[in-house]
Amino acid sequence: MGLAGTEMRRAKLRFGLLTGAVSLLVFLVLLLTTLSNALVSSLVGALEGLQTDGVVYADSARDNIVASRLPAETTQEVAAVPGVARTAGIGTFTSNAELAGELTEVQVFGYEASGPGAPSGLDSGRLPEAPGEAAVDGGGVAIGDTVSLEPGGTELTVVGTVRGAQFNALPTAYVLLDTYAAAVEAANPGLPFVPINAVAFDVSEGEDPAAVAAAVTDSVDGVTGYSLDEAVALIPGIASISQSFGILVGLTFVIGIVVIGFFFLILTVQKMKAFTLLRAIGTSTARLAGSVALQITAVVLIASAIALVLTLLAVQGLNTGIPVSLEPSLVIGTIVAVLVFSLAAGLLSIRRIARIDPATAVGAR
Amino acid sequence: MTDPANDPVLDATRSALDGPGASPADDAAGHPSALLHVNDVRKVYGSGHTEVVAVSDATMAVDEGEFVALLGPSGSGKTTLISIIGGLLAPSSGRVTVGDVDVTAMNKKELTAFRAERVGFVFQSANLVPFLTARENLLFVSSLVKGISRTQANERADQLLSELGLSARAKNLPEQLSGGERQRVAIGRALMNDPDLVLVDEPTAALDTAMGRQVVELLRREIKARGKTGIMVTHDLRMVEYTDRVFEILDGHLTHVEQPSAIGH
Ligand SMILES: Nc1ncnc2c1ncn2[C@@H]1O[C@H](COP(=O)(O)OP(=O)(O)O)[C@@H](O)[C@H]1O
Ligand SMILES: [Mg+2]
Repeated sequence: MGLAGTEMRRAKLRFGLLTGAVSLLVFLVLLLTTLSNALVSSLVGALEGLQTDGVVYADSARDNIVASRLPAETTQEVAAVPGVARTAGIGTFTSNAELAGELTEVQVFGYEASGPGAPSGLDSGRLPEAPGEAAVDGGGVAIGDTVSLEPGGTELTVVGTVRGAQFNALPTAYVLLDTYAAAVEAANPGLPFVPINAVAFDVSEGEDPAAVAAAVTDSVDGVTGYSLDEAVALIPGIASISQSFGILVGLTFVIGIVVIGFFFLILTVQKMKAFTLLRAIGTSTARLAGSVALQITAVVLIASAIALVLTLLAVQGLNTGIPVSLEPSLVIGTIVAVLVFSLAAGLLSIRRIARIDPATAVGAR
Repeated sequence: MTDPANDPVLDATRSALDGPGASPADDAAGHPSALLHVNDVRKVYGSGHTEVVAVSDATMAVDEGEFVALLGPSGSGKTTLISIIGGLLAPSSGRVTVGDVDVTAMNKKELTAFRAERVGFVFQSANLVPFLTARENLLFVSSLVKGISRTQANERADQLLSELGLSARAKNLPEQLSGGERQRVAIGRALMNDPDLVLVDEPTAALDTAMGRQVVELLRREIKARGKTGIMVTHDLRMVEYTDRVFEILDGHLTHVEQPSAIGH
């Protein structure tokens, strides 16, 4: 017969309140983490999702792809650096656009279909294969829609949608590099040449991207090489956003664990008489500890289920202006972490149980 | 000191005397095949100037199927002695054997199993798990031992509850029961695992006289009906009439073994 379950059924209010409190805290952790991921991803998703080992910017760009201007020839210069396997140009600019009937800002990314630097995260349709085609993340567009860039009047036909690939939280359109160049020229008539913003490079088998990036910095004048991870981490504001959310999530998490730990400690102290009696009539410490662990597990799992429902509702109901989605790995990771740390906090109670002297159950002492 | 076994006058007339019976140590010598043997058990609490000798040189023997009383005033060491016998407390020295097992040689884990399998306890108060019903309090202890099926346990619990007049209260929580009903549930709990020894510490302390008598009478009936061996601690002279023999204890010393009829008249 289950001691743990019977007690919980007999003390529904008590365990219900605890489960409610824990579910709100788990909900906060899930929501904050999801929002933080969504925010960061909308800012850096484009760069993070590029299928390349590293990127090269102009020195003057100070680690920022948007501020970087390079002549197209840099692509060949980078390709000549030992350890570099393949290179391709990447161009990007921000433009006004008419998108799904509304005037808005979009970010345009041009890449070479044959080289590194293509986007990932294709959600539906396909990537562009011909001039004037685009795959878009955000802005509420669907396949077959037209995006017209203003000024310049370049018309892009949406042939696919991508997810998690926005830049600066703007709807982002991925086009072939030639389409990009044509659009730049259309918007800036009389431009002597169309610059690219970055060179994407893949390293040869077995080479370390960071080391090759350093070699590029050394051997090509006026440029700085970055592994993709370095480039993403250097996007302005990302570190402070991640840190702020991290502190909030961490605090909420810790509060949740402390609530669970102390609740069960109080419960255990209140039940000391019953536990002592149980030890006296031959119940092992392990069994009593197991029943506390079982109750903690039950509370955390039920609370997590409630929190998950709340988070799903919130993600659907909240209009945050950025694409938000709940990642299963995040959910599972959070629940497992809450469970593990709650059980650790339960050791406070179990220590008390282990110290029980069964002899004190006898008589009126 | 006179050894009553060697004193034909005292021995022959003992039952007629309204005086001290044999010393428990001498009595024990006459019960070599008893179920329970307590040999030179001593218990000292604390140390230095806070030292309390709660039990000293206790020797006694209880035969299988006997229901005996351990009678003495408050503070005389009754609870200490019965706790040592039941494997709840380790003596400072001495030996306790139940059948062929040496209780005083067991480690903590073995003692826990010993208490679950071979001892049934009825304590003075706070006897039941508050969040389990009367029936669940009985069923729980059967989960502490291996080899009892659910059906067997259910049958046994219902049988005991019915014998104890508690069938109608089976689904009640302890807080919904009277003091006497709670002690009856505890008796059922103590008998649930078919123990060798039933140890009862002042079962009537929280009850009025009539209720106390009823509980002790039931206790005797159940112990006798099942052929169990029982020791009941009490300081109440009126309760000893339900027992077979009475061990008297004073200031930690077992002094005499008496027939119940020799006491309280
Ligand atoms: N845990 C303990 N620590 C110190 N002294 C104790 C403890 N338990 C009992 N005593 C002392 O031992 C003596 C015997 O106590 P106890 O066995 O409870 O007697 P009884 O059950 O006959 O009232 C008393 O003097 C009591 O104060
Ligand atoms: Mg006592």
